[in-house]
Amino acid sequence: MRLEKCWFCSSTVYPGHGIQFVRNDAKIFRFCRSKCHKNFKMKRNPRKVKWTKAYRRVHGKDMTQDSTFEFERKRNRPERYDRNLAENVLKAIPKIDKIRVTREERHHKNRMKGKKEKLQREAVKELEQSISLVKAPSVLQQDPSLTLPKIKVKVSQKQSEENHAMEE
Amino acid sequence: MAATFASRCSRVGRSLLGGLSNSSPGLFSTSHELTCGNFFSQQQRTFIQMRTVLKVVDNSGAKKVMCIQALKGKKGARLGDTIIASVKEAHPNGKVKKGKVVYGVVVRAAMQRGRCDGSEVKFDDNAVVLVDKQGQPIGTRVFGPVPHELRQKKHVKILTLAGHIA
Repeated sequence: MRLEKCWFCSSTVYPGHGIQFVRNDAKIFRFCRSKCHKNFKMKRNPRKVKWTKAYRRVHGKDMTQDSTFEFERKRNRPERYDRNLAENVLKAIPKIDKIRVTREERHHKNRMKGKKEKLQREAVKELEQSISLVKAPSVLQQDPSLTLPKIKVKVSQKQSEENHAMEE
Repeated sequence: MAATFASRCSRVGRSLLGGLSNSSPGLFSTSHELTCGNFFSQQQRTFIQMRTVLKVVDNSGAKKVMCIQALKGKKGARLGDTIIASVKEAHPNGKVKKGKVVYGVVVRAAMQRGRCDGSEVKFDDNAVVLVDKQGQPIGTRVFGPVPHELRQKKHVKILTLAGHIA
């Protein structure tokens, strides 16, 4: 049993799923589901289709080179069965997954660095330009702050009693 | 591109065609409508039946062969089945001449075939290897990929001649 990768979206194809298409030049294309298969038949390039892993790698959204990927390289030479080796591998797999996930998160964080400051700057600029949409200019002259006055609403006690009745 | 999609719009209902009907696919437009907005309706691949033209992928001399009977199978032959065929096109000097009735083993079929692990395989075209009544191939070479379903059907000789096993 071997877990293959979908040619289009690069997700794993588990046994019993998907279609395998053999072209006449003996190249085998495996697809995880009909969505990928139909996109292939439409001759779409996975590097241009936004939701595929190929696109994400090419456009720098996901990390491309990492030592954790070396473990998943395809090996064509079968290994002699060794019980200890198998046991160690089974123990190592979740650890490697955890490391890979933390590295991917770090990559994502690095990519999104500076987003908060950028949003802040844009918000400030928008407030300066379009405060007239929410605050009349006459009010602005009296009170030149870019925030709206806070309105306090009194919540009556009766509502909490109603909730108690509903819970019972 | 538009022409290929127009040809894909003709869908052949699988359930309606038996192994013996000769009518054109146009008459059998089924009651299944195309889903709205689905201009690229997929081609329904079906069995290999009477009048199916197949490519010959060995060096027996024939080039194109038309199926006249699918042995085993009410609806038609699939990947790995044997058929009786008539040679329609042949190389000028080959073991097999035009008009001869031969047996063949389907080695590539555009219709998907389920594998024992649950997945499905499909090839790009319909291809056949000519054999004699005993099942031994007439030619000495086989071109292109062949599936390993042939091993279960006991066509081991074809597998040994094949360049690539899918």
